[in-house]
Amino acid sequence: MSSDVVVDIQGLTKRFGARTVFEDISLQVRRSEVVAVIGPSGAGKSTFIRCINYLHPFDAGRIRVLGHELVGGGAPPSKATLRQVRMQVGMAFQTFNLFPHLTALGNVMLGPMETKRVPARDARDKAMALLSSVGLADRAEAYPRRLSGGEQQRVAICRALAMDPEVMLFDEPTSMLDPEMVGEVLATIRGLASQGMTLILVTHEMQFAKEVADTVVVMADGRVVEQGPARDVLEHPTSERSRTFLTRVLKPLEAPGVSGEASPPGGSGRGATTALGGDVR
Amino acid sequence: MRRLAARRAVRTKRGVMSTLQLWGQYLPQFLAGLVVSLQLTGAALVLALALGTLLVLARTGRIRVLAAIATGYVEVFRAVPVLVLLFTAYYSLAQMGLRLPGFWAGVVALGAFYGALYGEDMRSGLQSVDPGQREAAVALGLSNGTVMRRVVLPQAFLAFLPPGTNELSNLIKDTSLVLTIGVTDLMFQANAAAAATFQPMDMFLLAGLVYFAFYILLSRILARWELNVQRRRS
Repeated sequence: MSSDVVVDIQGLTKRFGARTVFEDISLQVRRSEVVAVIGPSGAGKSTFIRCINYLHPFDAGRIRVLGHELVGGGAPPSKATLRQVRMQVGMAFQTFNLFPHLTALGNVMLGPMETKRVPARDARDKAMALLSSVGLADRAEAYPRRLSGGEQQRVAICRALAMDPEVMLFDEPTSMLDPEMVGEVLATIRGLASQGMTLILVTHEMQFAKEVADTVVVMADGRVVEQGPARDVLEHPTSERSRTFLTRVLKPLEAPGVSGEASPPGGSGRGATTALGGDVR
Repeated sequence: MRRLAARRAVRTKRGVMSTLQLWGQYLPQFLAGLVVSLQLTGAALVLALALGTLLVLARTGRIRVLAAIATGYVEVFRAVPVLVLLFTAYYSLAQMGLRLPGFWAGVVALGAFYGALYGEDMRSGLQSVDPGQREAAVALGLSNGTVMRRVVLPQAFLAFLPPGTNELSNLIKDTSLVLTIGVTDLMFQANAAAAATFQPMDMFLLAGLVYFAFYILLSRILARWELNVQRRRS
């Protein structure tokens, strides 16, 4: 593989007890590449993306992130390795997870001040610049619970960006948002992509994936069922499994009565149980 | 009929006067008792918070034996009446050769009991923090200590405050039990005054009023403090 690969995942396998969440997943992500991970709920997409910064330990395989190696099974990586990886891999969560006891500004300043000993003044300047760039300069002093979901997610993205990450992970960044706020968050992510940030995102926004992603990975039933250039995968899926999923997701109104494990994107994200139920045995 | 009512009114008036007179007479003793009660509360609170911290560290830590001991401690000590602990600290320890002065026996018993409660309150405070908070902090690359100090504890503290202040209010009231081992606290003074004046109702009423006044004062202060902490974060 060329040195251009910033995230190299080989044979990743994750189990919760006896249940296999996913098995033998490999993926290479190049610098400035945008990878969208899609698939039915319960396919293990979120668990997968959380392995990349080792929020979840995994059972087999290895992940090489910017020269740091995380190996599954055995002993966990050293604290130093983990911190290096996490400082260079930013993450935004489905539920935002802003720190409620800190202002928007405080949330964005915390990382650099605590990990890199950046002086408060510099951290503040940088945080303000980031918040301005997502249109939230005037909300800097607000506490998270005074912010709308869309605002919270944009602050959360700023919080991750304040660490100057090489890679950004997005774990369903818009699925907890009211429809009218999805656009502002997607615009922020689109901006990052156009600036050449390497992005790996789990999403249910198929149109967005088609528009922004270079590569699409379709996960279902704990496997990667299809992976390739975004347009090819989304418009001409070759695997039967991704074809059924995409049919239902892209044309939910035209295929109403189709039974299957995929839940439509707009539906409750907790339809997971049906898909999971299939895996449990 | 009217005469009877008038006579009763006179007697009641005289009763109120004499009660106030008695209260004025015994107020210095009562205040001295209150000081002892407060010292007892303060010392027991310090012990209870320290013990509660140790318990929660042990229970959430990795060493299984310590966790089991801490869990057992909490189960036992919060199930036993404070009075039993008090007599144990005063009489039983003395039999075993550790003779504690009454005041310190009170501190130990109350501290041991409220330590178990505070340990529980702290633990539930910690558990109330959304796991996503820890994840978000860890994902930034913060060390475990920093995650605790800057993200988890400030939130856990907010959740701990209401039950914590409630526990403190109960602690103040429970200090009155040390009367039984001869510590000259507020309740002891009330009892002594009741015996000396043959007016138990007046004297215990005064004791109740002093406890009540202090309780109200303290709970108002704590409530305001809680509100301030909350307001600062919204």
